[in-house]
Amino acid sequence: MTAGKLSPPARVLVTKIGLDGHDRGSRIVAAYLRDAGMEVIYTPPWQSIPAVVKLALEEDVDVIGISSLATDHLIVPKLLDALRAAGLGHVGMIVGGIVPEDERPALLAAGVAAILGPGSSRDEIIAQVTALAAKVQETKDAELGEIA
Amino acid sequence: MSQEAVQLSLPGFEQAHGRWRTEYDRQIGTDRAIKNRSRIEIKPLYTPRDWNGDAFLDDLGFPGQSPYTRGIYPTMHRGRTWTQRQLIGLGTPEDYNKRVRVILDAGATAISLLPCNSGFRGVDCDEVDPVLLGTCGTVINTTDHMDRALDGVPLGRISTAMNDPSPFTLLAFLLAVAKRRGVPWSAITGTSNQSDYISHFIANHMFYRLSLPGARRVLLDHIAFCRTHLPGWNPVSVVGQHMQQAGATPVETMAFTISTALQYAQDCVERGMDIDHVLRRFTFFFDISISFFEEVAKFRAGRRIWARLTRERLGAKDPGSWRFKFHAQTSGVDLTEQQPLNNIARVAVQAMAGIMSGLQSLHTDAYDEAITTPTEETARIAVATQNILREEAHLCDVIDPLGGSYYVETLTDQMEREMLKLIGQIDEAGGMYKAAETGLIQGMIGQSALAFQEKVESGEEKVVGVNCYQDGNSAPPARPTERPDLARMDAHIARFKVFKEQRSQSDVDRALDALKRAANSARENTYERIVEAAAAGVTHGEIVRLLRAELGFGHPLVVV
Amino acid sequence: MDTPLSLSDTAREKSPTGSDIVERLAAGDPAALARCISLMETGSAAADRIHRRIVPKTGRAAVLGFTGAPGAGKSTLIDALIAALRAQARTVAVAAVDPSSPIFGGAILGDRVRMRRHAEDSGVFIRSVASRGHLGGLSESIHRIVDVMDAAGRDVVIVETVGTGQSEVEVAEIADVCVVVNAPNMGDDVQAMKAGVLEIADVLVVNKADLPLAQRATDQLRDMLKLRHDKRDVPIVETIAIKDTGVETLLATIGTLLAGRTSDKQKARERRARRLIAQAGSRLIYDRLRDHAGGEMEDLIKAAASGEIGIADAAQRALKVIG
Repeated sequence: MTAGKLSPPARVLVTKIGLDGHDRGSRIVAAYLRDAGMEVIYTPPWQSIPAVVKLALEEDVDVIGISSLATDHLIVPKLLDALRAAGLGHVGMIVGGIVPEDERPALLAAGVAAILGPGSSRDEIIAQVTALAAKVQETKDAELGEIA
Repeated sequence: MSQEAVQLSLPGFEQAHGRWRTEYDRQIGTDRAIKNRSRIEIKPLYTPRDWNGDAFLDDLGFPGQSPYTRGIYPTMHRGRTWTQRQLIGLGTPEDYNKRVRVILDAGATAISLLPCNSGFRGVDCDEVDPVLLGTCGTVINTTDHMDRALDGVPLGRISTAMNDPSPFTLLAFLLAVAKRRGVPWSAITGTSNQSDYISHFIANHMFYRLSLPGARRVLLDHIAFCRTHLPGWNPVSVVGQHMQQAGATPVETMAFTISTALQYAQDCVERGMDIDHVLRRFTFFFDISISFFEEVAKFRAGRRIWARLTRERLGAKDPGSWRFKFHAQTSGVDLTEQQPLNNIARVAVQAMAGIMSGLQSLHTDAYDEAITTPTEETARIAVATQNILREEAHLCDVIDPLGGSYYVETLTDQMEREMLKLIGQIDEAGGMYKAAETGLIQGMIGQSALAFQEKVESGEEKVVGVNCYQDGNSAPPARPTERPDLARMDAHIARFKVFKEQRSQSDVDRALDALKRAANSARENTYERIVEAAAAGVTHGEIVRLLRAELGFGHPLVVV
Repeated sequence: MDTPLSLSDTAREKSPTGSDIVERLAAGDPAALARCISLMETGSAAADRIHRRIVPKTGRAAVLGFTGAPGAGKSTLIDALIAALRAQARTVAVAAVDPSSPIFGGAILGDRVRMRRHAEDSGVFIRSVASRGHLGGLSESIHRIVDVMDAAGRDVVIVETVGTGQSEVEVAEIADVCVVVNAPNMGDDVQAMKAGVLEIADVLVVNKADLPLAQRATDQLRDMLKLRHDKRDVPIVETIAIKDTGVETLLATIGTLLAGRTSDKQKARERRARRLIAQAGSRLIYDRLRDHAGGEMEDLIKAAASGEIGIADAAQRALKVIG
């Protein structure tokens, strides 16, 4: 579990937008990510899009993990638009939970990096988030130049 | 039972048992210890050596007699079958009304109402993105909405389960509608299904609206109001469902739920209410997992513990107070997205466990519950499941059919012991309110949840279609996902905005001021004012917003 | 002549838009502030450079430290206090510190969501900081994080910490005013509060003041204050954070203390620098003593192991050996 840990640690926001409030899954994922050495900013459900954008900016997050069990994924493209408008287009986005097949292409086209269904294993989740965070950190470093 | 005693009453027992054991050990190959979800070890065989009925009268007794292990009424399902109470909620009030009429036409006498997630959040329909509305429940923000939702529904003759947490605005709207229709409040029956704010704080953050002390205040006001005005209503439903769905083991779930009930009973007594009067209107609400025998043992142990604690600890004298009444729902957490039709079998097994446990009312999930709100077809199958179990499998013919099983009785005793231990722990922590406030319960549940998840990941806990027998996994059906009609929802929102413009603003302001004063005075009853506000045209969002400002916004304690 | 920063160094600190990150920070750009905080956490050479440049821009902000046990309602109180500050049109930055897992290195950072009222207010900048293995309880870089928040032009900087380890000492070094939040909630008395915490408190808060045991908690705190070695009169403020009760009083109390503050920031910086030097120095000495080989050292070790000389004595001599 410690292999592949990033330095500095990956900063991941685990949150729920929209109206669904079931958070057992996202709490378990947050625990997985923490035990894999990541810093997880964890919010309760019902975060508004402006609040998520502000949070992502202030916390300098690498990846946002959205847990969606009902219809909340339908407004993820709106979140991505808002992030880009705030200069946060480099932040990675993963959607986890229940997303009907016919609604996935729209998400991927909007910029979601991966959609992880309920059968995803802990190792898969950690691997996907780590890989995405690594890519995002590279982008940020390139912007700022070499950071010793 | 001692070895000699068994030998005396059953000559040859030891030898026969020994013979079986030898052959078993020889043939079994690698035998690993099996533990159920509550971490109790399960043996391959149970005999009179484990349980022999000596304590029959003390521990089991007869149905309708303390300690009610075998059932709370003398006739149980053979006399009156369990109530079929299917949860419904979706779309606009008109959408709900269509569904509920179908159910009533089919002969149901009990309905259930599930509000839209926007309602749980505490906002009105004009405050959120319309694409999110009405997908998981019905949008009802005013008395008018409730009137349309219950159009043609005989309020005085059916029982309603309101799945609405504190501050119970939906019931307030229903009472205003009853007044409009000339139906006396004394004829209104039903339950405030989600009045258990402690369980929401712990395990269902979506239902948690007001701060802990605020919710405590409103619940007590609600109970007092119902005592005076709604003799047919159960204001308290202590909920085990959320905690079990969050990962609590069956033992933990029952122990935590009973502790919560004790806390509420204590709060009522401290407020000066009579314990018997209060307990008579306590009901419970549980999930039924697919761990079949464990669920049966869980409910039987719960009944027994409740019968004894109410009498011994709370001093309740009325037998009505000792009876553990519960509604149960088959657990959606055991259902899978993969190979969804398998869920029909799962729900049937869960329902069987619930029926044989002696529940009072039952909701069976639709097989697609894991993915979406049920369609009419999947909802029909869920009801048919109950009918088949009753009519074809004859599950109602015998009361407590599993009673006397060496396994079930031993397991009931074991689970009771574990439950009492946990209840003792919570007592030491100062009671359930404090235990929840400090995060003690959340931590325990979190650990159980993680442990179970790890078992599924490792394959130790097998789930068909998920970590075994996956070859049946075909691509999901190509049908496009059903979503509420956006045009109808937009029209509903538009109509709502017009309503707000046309209502009497002075009536609204007066009602909100009265509610604010009540919230700040310990001597007034906030729920009386909420009911008045509902009748004055105040909306759900306005009521919740005011109470959050005066009594505190509900921030659940997140323990990861 | 000082070696100027090489051209390539300064070029590296520019963002793609061309303007310098420190300039953007000083202009109040929250993205620049966020990125600078991340840099400060790395402790890199770039972080050192940037910190050196922003130190002259610090000293304007009022720095408040908040500590208190979980369950006391600290975060709710800070949420209410920020609302009061915003009503006075003051800008705020919050550093909410949470411990990292000592085993796995990760952390769950969940404090900021309790400041729900300010989730969309750009006048309130909130940053979650993990301790990242810093044994003190706060983070090693917390004083630099406070500096960049100060340099960004925020009127008030709030550092929130649970109060584990020695974090209260560290908070006292950074903060102008230290607020310790208590609550009469667990049925226990406030005796559970650590002695060290009481020493550094400038203001004591009894939250959940509507509970029946609140008066007793206040009385107990007053008694315990008598044991403080500096016998300063520390105000006790009662609040009900979820109802915003007592928050104006708390703000006024803090304001009075800030106005009367005579200690200057430079002295505090120097005290902290001395402590950090001693800490770094002792790490260096520890490593060298532990790894040093050679005849003299071996003799000392043998003598100490057999009891011929005492450990303290051996240590003195060893220091001379490594020079």
